[in-house]
Amino acid sequence: MAGPSVNDATPGPEPEDAAPGEDAAPAAPRPLGPPLYPPLAPTVITLRVIFGVLLAAAVLYAPIYFTPQNNRILSQAIYLAVAAMGLNLLTGFNGQISIGHGAFFAVGAFTTAILMVDHNWTFEATIPIAAVLAGTVGLLVGFPALRVRGLYLALVTLGLAVLAPQVANKYVHGTGGRPLLQPRRSEFSSLLTFLDDDQWMYYLCLAIAALLFFVAWNLVRSRVGRAMVACRDEELAASTLGVNLAGTKVGTFAISAAYAGIAGSLSVMVDRLADGTNPVLYFQRSIEFLVAVVIGGAATMFGPIVGAVLLVLLRRNTQDLLEGQKAQVLSPALYGAALMAIVYVLPEGVVGGVRRLVARVARQQPVATAQPPSSPTPEPA
Amino acid sequence: MQLFVSQVLNGIGYGVVYGSVALALVLIFRVTGVLNFAQGEMALFSTYVSWKLTTTGMPVALAIALSMVIAFIGGALIERVFIRPVEGRSPLNVVIVTLGMFLAINSLTQLVFGTDPQQMPSPFPSGSIELFSSGGESIEVSKSTIGLIVVLLVECAALWFLLQRTRLGLRLRAVASNPDSARLVGINSGAMLMLGWGLAAALGALAGSLVASKQTAFDASLMQIILVYAFAAAALGGFESLIGAVVAGLIVGVAYTLTIQYIDALDGIELVMPLGLILAVLLVKPNGLFGRRTVERV
Amino acid sequence: MMMRSVHSSPPRPWSRRGRSLLSLSVVLVLLTAACSQRDDDSAGPSENGEGGGGSSTIDTSNCTTDPTAEIEGDTIKFVSSYPQSGVTAPFAEIGVGWQAYFDMVNAEGGVEIAGNTYQLEWETKDDQYDAAQTASNIDELVGTDGENAFAVFSVVGTANNLAIRDSLADLCVPNVFAATGAPAWGDPDYPWTIGSTLSPYSLEAQVFFELLQDQKPDARVAMLVQDDDFGRAYQETFEALIADTDIELTQVETYQAGIQVDVSAQMTSLASSDADVFFDGATLLACPDALTRAANANWQREITWVSSTCLSKTLMGLAGAAGDGVYSIANVMDPQSPDFADSQAMQQYRDQVESSFPGTDTDNGIVAYGWTQAAVLVQAMEDAEAPTRLAVMESVHNLDLGDDVGLLLPGTGVLTNSGDDDNFMGERVNLVQYTFAETHFATVGDVYDFEGQTPDFTPSDLISSG
Repeated sequence: MAGPSVNDATPGPEPEDAAPGEDAAPAAPRPLGPPLYPPLAPTVITLRVIFGVLLAAAVLYAPIYFTPQNNRILSQAIYLAVAAMGLNLLTGFNGQISIGHGAFFAVGAFTTAILMVDHNWTFEATIPIAAVLAGTVGLLVGFPALRVRGLYLALVTLGLAVLAPQVANKYVHGTGGRPLLQPRRSEFSSLLTFLDDDQWMYYLCLAIAALLFFVAWNLVRSRVGRAMVACRDEELAASTLGVNLAGTKVGTFAISAAYAGIAGSLSVMVDRLADGTNPVLYFQRSIEFLVAVVIGGAATMFGPIVGAVLLVLLRRNTQDLLEGQKAQVLSPALYGAALMAIVYVLPEGVVGGVRRLVARVARQQPVATAQPPSSPTPEPA
Repeated sequence: MQLFVSQVLNGIGYGVVYGSVALALVLIFRVTGVLNFAQGEMALFSTYVSWKLTTTGMPVALAIALSMVIAFIGGALIERVFIRPVEGRSPLNVVIVTLGMFLAINSLTQLVFGTDPQQMPSPFPSGSIELFSSGGESIEVSKSTIGLIVVLLVECAALWFLLQRTRLGLRLRAVASNPDSARLVGINSGAMLMLGWGLAAALGALAGSLVASKQTAFDASLMQIILVYAFAAAALGGFESLIGAVVAGLIVGVAYTLTIQYIDALDGIELVMPLGLILAVLLVKPNGLFGRRTVERV
Repeated sequence: MMMRSVHSSPPRPWSRRGRSLLSLSVVLVLLTAACSQRDDDSAGPSENGEGGGGSSTIDTSNCTTDPTAEIEGDTIKFVSSYPQSGVTAPFAEIGVGWQAYFDMVNAEGGVEIAGNTYQLEWETKDDQYDAAQTASNIDELVGTDGENAFAVFSVVGTANNLAIRDSLADLCVPNVFAATGAPAWGDPDYPWTIGSTLSPYSLEAQVFFELLQDQKPDARVAMLVQDDDFGRAYQETFEALIADTDIELTQVETYQAGIQVDVSAQMTSLASSDADVFFDGATLLACPDALTRAANANWQREITWVSSTCLSKTLMGLAGAAGDGVYSIANVMDPQSPDFADSQAMQQYRDQVESSFPGTDTDNGIVAYGWTQAAVLVQAMEDAEAPTRLAVMESVHNLDLGDDVGLLLPGTGVLTNSGDDDNFMGERVNLVQYTFAETHFATVGDVYDFEGQTPDFTPSDLISSG
């Protein structure tokens, strides 16, 4: 084996598990990562349901309780989660590392902004267009990505993220000739009379995110999803079993780009601007998405969401934690330190760590911590 | 013609910058398998250390050498304390850790050294050497650029010698290739990894100091865009080859300046050129210009 | 490749579908039961304002808040967002200047508006020069109904001010003294945003043009500018001005804002053109870099101009000898100049800043700039007819101040009362020239007076854009 390759060592915790014994095999291919859990005891199921209900209630009630500023922050976490979900599909489940999803995010954001500002579209109508455009760009990037592997792909995508604001600067002429587009606040006003603007914004983001979540869930648990994971783990074997490698990989790229594009579109509503003036913004976004995926738990369904929320909270709190000018300089250091700490303590991300905890609480012994097999199990169905 | 040659020389001037940082990146990758996003900021911190030392009156070359030693120790410690816990597991986790370090080190640098721009004196004599002249115009290359090229070549030669011709280098390569087997053979993998990081940090310190001395002034943003181009150069050269990193750096630098000069359509988005170049090369040679083809066992 | 046995399914209490439905319905019940209106904490009035007083030129019919509401209590709060960390942190020194002035005013009893006295209060946030962050900061600082602050003051950065211009216009909250020279702040469609004493970039090009007409009417000019509207302001204005003259613009090179500090490639290109006049329209570190490269290339020039944004002790210090003899414009006294060392205004400035922020380098021109902005603001407030946003904004648009405000250069002043289109405050400037030996800019010649003329020589798309 000549040189470590980035694809090899990626641990892949299983796709979000269903209720035990649910459709077909209990779990899809599971190379490295958290051990396989035996079917869950009733206590665990009860815990999960209660937790789920409480969480859902909190999530739905939140905007009613919080101030507009906080709702804005929560909405930011939501669109970050959408982008992270998309990246999770590509990097977590399909093993292609991308640090350039900020570029697709930019495509989505500018598509929406341009359509709204220059052509007077309504916001909601721009979202599918943003998704399609971003997905198309993703498709275009996905093809060369077939040849360019691992860390080379990561670096090429990095280049894309740095290029995006420059392209925006060249071709987008918004306010004051700058690549800065700001739709008016009234464009985003609530369509329901009993909801304030910021609450409407939150619920809309939430609805779209939930929809995309279920799409991703179903995708991962479907044949396509298993093909994705197979491509990641054992390409050669997968292709001998008839998996269309090129199609799967390019398709995943396109879908994950579309997710990022939708996130960008939502960001125009939440932040009320599409901003290309900052040369490192979309690179920073790319990093945020990746961080959200990893600290939440790569290749899990809830990981990206948890990661996004955590990230936004971290960012917010490290800024507010300290006072004074020295503190301003120190807050990125704290933020960086916090990221590192999370990765040390929870190498499988928060979701992976929580799973272990839950298993311990329910006093389940994990089955054989030795390396699980890397091949797909034969599907009964 | 004059202009062309001048811009090529300018490009070489940029290229040696990218190449020297790329060298450090490739070294870390070859020895530890890690893509170190914090390389630039580590170099930045060391550059400030060099600068601080020169303000005490120390001769520049000595200041840089001392800074390299400090960087070596620092790099080894960073590997031991921060990277070791996540090494060998998910490469994604390692990336996150290096990103966290990127933020932390940049922030600490600003805290310790302030945000004002500073000037780094050059260890090379100032002025230029005339290459040739025709029709009253002369083509000159600055002595600092030549100095930097020489330094780079010496670095490459030294590293090559270390890795290919010494036992220590053999051990380093063994650990890079297969850490577990290396341990079984009795090689102290941990020490080798620390050595690799220390070396790369020292290289980064040298690169950063020389880059800063080439510019009129530097501040905490010194390495940020350079890092992008350095990664591009490392990718172009293939992460396997040290000399490849340098050559690729030169290619990226020259492509950049020639684009500024001649391709007006890309005005403002000159980054497209090096990126496109790399993509094109990677499509044909997926392991970079100088990389070896990886053979995977099925 | 190991095979794994499939586990048999255990007894399931609920089907997954059933569980989801149950959860959902429970949640819906909770939601409707808990459906209460949250506290609307906006204290500000939110009815549409009626049109202001009869003589007002500011249209208030679209305001979402009432700009004629009087200030409550005895404090006026100003908010700002500017870089306080990161590589653009040096801009934070502007804040030092105006905050020291506010301290002084407060110590003297406060500012008096139409018979009432108010103490000045302020709050700032760091945006690291990122426009999106500025927008978010100002949203928070001002509040969704403008209830948290009286006005926004001295925000740094063109994109940053653009990012807040629309929302503040909707709220009819003043955004005064935007700290950039973008001609866009003179846009009559946005009366609630106004620039500062920084001259518009187009005016700078105009003075440059006049200098050439004086000293070298057949000049061949090469320009280095940023690749955005800042650079365009210089380039387009200059091109329009030289249209029918003997002056020729031989070459223009651009560099990337915020990314590049090393402009050697651009300078090689410019230096090898046969221009004999160089316009260095670069800012921050690129500005001194261009000067040193030009010197290293032995480019024979008769006149070199630097952007007024480069007039800082740090930047010119970095240029060193390469900055000797460069021209620019200024309307604020250079604290490094011995000409003003004895002036009472300068002394007062130094004393107060030292007292409010001990250890500040008062030689730094941007602190003097910040100080002057505060002085103009306080004067504008004291001239206002009523303690309301509308009245203060109208006062800002009707200023007639001499050079005794803040640290304005003798002969300059601030006038904005020459009509509806006169929205520029820095139209009287002095030509200045730098001497390396004495490390300061000395004034050259008389004050150029362009009162009310900026819209005449500025291409209209630079003012009313986007």
